[in-house]
Amino acid sequence: MSLDEHVIEVRDLSRKFGAFTAVDAVNFDVRRSEIFGYLGANGAGKSTTIRMLCGLLAPTTGHATVAGKDIARDPVGVKRSIGYMSQRFSLYLDLTVQENLQFFAGAYGIGGKKQRVAVDAALERAQLQDSRNVITKSLPGGVRQRLALASALIHKPVILFLDEPTAGVSPDSRRDFWRMIRGLAREGTTLFVTTHHLDEAEYCDRIGLMVDGKLVALGTPPELKREHVAGAMFALADTDHRALRAALAGDARVLQIQPFGRRVHLRVDAALGTPVDIQSMLTGRGVAFGEIQRIEPTLEDVFLELVGGAS
Amino acid sequence: MSGASKKRRRRGLVLIRFAAMAGKEVNHILRDPQVLLFALGMPVVLLLLFGYAVTFDIDHIPLVVVDQEQSASSRELIAAFEGGDLFEVVAVRETPEEVEPLLQRGVAKVGLIIPEGFDRELLRGDSPQAQLLLDGTDNNSAGMALGYANALSQAATKKAAERAGTPLELPLEARARTLYNPGLRSTVVLVPGLMVILLVMVAVMLTALTVAREYERGSMEQLFATPIGRLEVILGKLAPYFILGMVDVLLVVTVGVLLFDVPIAGELAVLTGVSALFMLAMLMQGLFISVATRNQMVASQLAVISTLLPSLLLSGFIFPVESMPSPLQVVASIFPARYFVHAVRVVMLKGGGFESIGVDCLAIGLFFLAMLAVSIKRFRRFVA
Repeated sequence: MSLDEHVIEVRDLSRKFGAFTAVDAVNFDVRRSEIFGYLGANGAGKSTTIRMLCGLLAPTTGHATVAGKDIARDPVGVKRSIGYMSQRFSLYLDLTVQENLQFFAGAYGIGGKKQRVAVDAALERAQLQDSRNVITKSLPGGVRQRLALASALIHKPVILFLDEPTAGVSPDSRRDFWRMIRGLAREGTTLFVTTHHLDEAEYCDRIGLMVDGKLVALGTPPELKREHVAGAMFALADTDHRALRAALAGDARVLQIQPFGRRVHLRVDAALGTPVDIQSMLTGRGVAFGEIQRIEPTLEDVFLELVGGAS
Repeated sequence: MSGASKKRRRRGLVLIRFAAMAGKEVNHILRDPQVLLFALGMPVVLLLLFGYAVTFDIDHIPLVVVDQEQSASSRELIAAFEGGDLFEVVAVRETPEEVEPLLQRGVAKVGLIIPEGFDRELLRGDSPQAQLLLDGTDNNSAGMALGYANALSQAATKKAAERAGTPLELPLEARARTLYNPGLRSTVVLVPGLMVILLVMVAVMLTALTVAREYERGSMEQLFATPIGRLEVILGKLAPYFILGMVDVLLVVTVGVLLFDVPIAGELAVLTGVSALFMLAMLMQGLFISVATRNQMVASQLAVISTLLPSLLLSGFIFPVESMPSPLQVVASIFPARYFVHAVRVVMLKGGGFESIGVDCLAIGLFFLAMLAVSIKRFRRFVA
């Protein structure tokens, strides 16, 4: 098996709900042991896509294979090969940690001695050996999330689908969680993650960006930034974005002015490459500014660029 | 892999998944004391409550007496009324006019008026007349009083005529013997019916909530992302509640036998068998409600409506199905409660075996299969 092997292939996949098209002719591939980030605002069609790929929802038109199985013709085959962790990581809160793991092992057809081995391995992996008899309800969110992840992995799936895995989890737990995700990818598991946290998307090997049911961008984070965010970006301290906008009005070299926290991001023609260039451009225009820094565009900039273009 | 071992492997997987589902459900039940309390406590408490409170046996009907004759035979007639437990003389008045106000006020429900000349007419061989005034607003008591009064006065008249030396021969006399429940005690008939109603309510409610709860919590989606099948989910959820339901049957029958002297004339095995079948049908009805509504609130209300009314009104528990207008009889024949009420009475009171309740078993079985089929159909594999 080569690393370039496609474990997910999606061709013109669409899903309509009545007159509403939730997913509109989407095409992409996911390679083995890749972390694929599926981005978009709420309602952009992320969850609908993931549900189709997990065999939970039949596509209206188009095809997709997951782990070599056709999602429409063999949804059960798909389910056997994948793990799925839904938005509200749906553990049974009135069961103990161990009972949850036992149930999911059984649901995947792992019984008897194999089940004991699998459950013990999952407890160890999630570092939950000491809480095996704790009722899930009494665990903090981060630990519950670890348990949900361990449940979704109990049958050693080739691909793991994570639908908004870090919703409602503290930043510390989120970091730990991504460390685990990267560990899984190193061991050969393919990860398909939906998120609307753009900072998390930076951890992904490749990203697909959904806007209104369409896949509008696909590539590695650096590729996306290069392709979709032209020019050079600078962060200006101690300035007012309205004053800046007024001062630079009509200057063709200015591509974008955007307030960003306490600073203002200014994107200009790539010819202006250094802070000195910016300083000379602004001098004599009657606008106050502080320190100027060259910065790299973020995925947020990519997103703003693409969503702005679409609307 | 050969075909046979593949098949065996698949069967093994089905069993593992079913066991996982059932085991999880058992854990849910054991963790929730309210479920156990509802399932095991409520039927017993309600059976005690209703068993003692609800009775259709009529006795101590208040009676007002007017005896204008004051003879041996008139006193004998009054004594005959007083003899049993049925009537209780609450007032004695001089004139017939004084009777009605007492009925109106509800002091008495029946008035017995023996006019002057009662004795004379009896001796002459004419038909002597005593008047009975009945309060028709309580038609049960009035009907019972009328029947008893007729029988009593007939017996008293015959006796009086014999004594007078002119024995009375009735052209037609009905001699009735009541089988299976010689005392016509209503508890013997009611308690088995009541047991049915309680089992219906508990069984349907128990399963009505389970699937809806998973939809509400979002765990249904997670469940469907596993290879577990619809039938495995349904049967896995059914199994633990079936055991709980049979414990319920045992409890309710025990209370009925020990406290209300309901006989078990038939075989225990037959009673268990038909109860098991009925329990499955009711649990399946609950599951269907759950699958169809996906909402605990709606499911619990539907569970109550779909069980309480049909089992109370259309099961023959209180009103005989045969006396209903025919459209209503058609409706009644859909609900298994009707067949089970019949079957339980046949087995417990008449000592009937499976051969006497074949139709009931068939109807209940069909209902179960129909519910299973629609549940699976409604249980969409793809949660949209």
